[in-house]
Amino acid sequence: MNFWEKITGSDMTKEFKTFESRVKKLPADYQAAWEQINVNLWPHSDFTGRNLMPILDGVLGLLEEMAADGQSVQEALGDDIKGFCSALASEEGAKSLRDKWREQLNNNIAKKLGK
Amino acid sequence: MLKGVLEGSVLEIISRQETYGYEITRRLNALGFTDVVEGTVYTILIRLEKNKLVEITKKPSDMGPPRKFFSINDAGREELRRFWEKWEFVSSKINELKENES
Repeated sequence: MNFWEKITGSDMTKEFKTFESRVKKLPADYQAAWEQINVNLWPHSDFTGRNLMPILDGVLGLLEEMAADGQSVQEALGDDIKGFCSALASEEGAKSLRDKWREQLNNNIAKKLGK
Repeated sequence: MLKGVLEGSVLEIISRQETYGYEITRRLNALGFTDVVEGTVYTILIRLEKNKLVEITKKPSDMGPPRKFFSINDAGREELRRFWEKWEFVSSKINELKENES
């Protein structure tokens, strides 16, 4: 990734385009699930969202494999997409803004107590 | 509690032969874990992969995208041994507790 890409985020745009074209090939219910996963994963994003790219790539791979097996999305993911997403994000070690705030708070308290 | 147990179970299934997510899910379902879905197994596999307990190969399938196949490595075997050790301990203690109750 060069400087220009880093600033404009064009590397991510490119990746999103490939994601989109892969999603388009999936059955309709999978596309709906993808939308939902997308929505539920973004709260785990860091500032730029680059940390989510490998996760999204993995999930898309999973969806493709399952669709090829002819399973319904319900069978594959269950009804707890939100839980699935937070399990995913924490496994991959994606730190959310909330974690950052928590860290900040803990540091501040530790500092105050140290005095 | 089931989460930790499932991780060991998935590792055990992988240790028998190289396999992939869908097959693992089916095996677990057949065992009686009916509410385990592929999404659950997927997050476990990611964890195993991240802890370097399994090796991954991508193989093309007859239909659809290439599949990820998982096989166990030495670190995985060691982890599996520890898992069964822990499980022996837990199950014997729980049984002991149950017998004392009645």
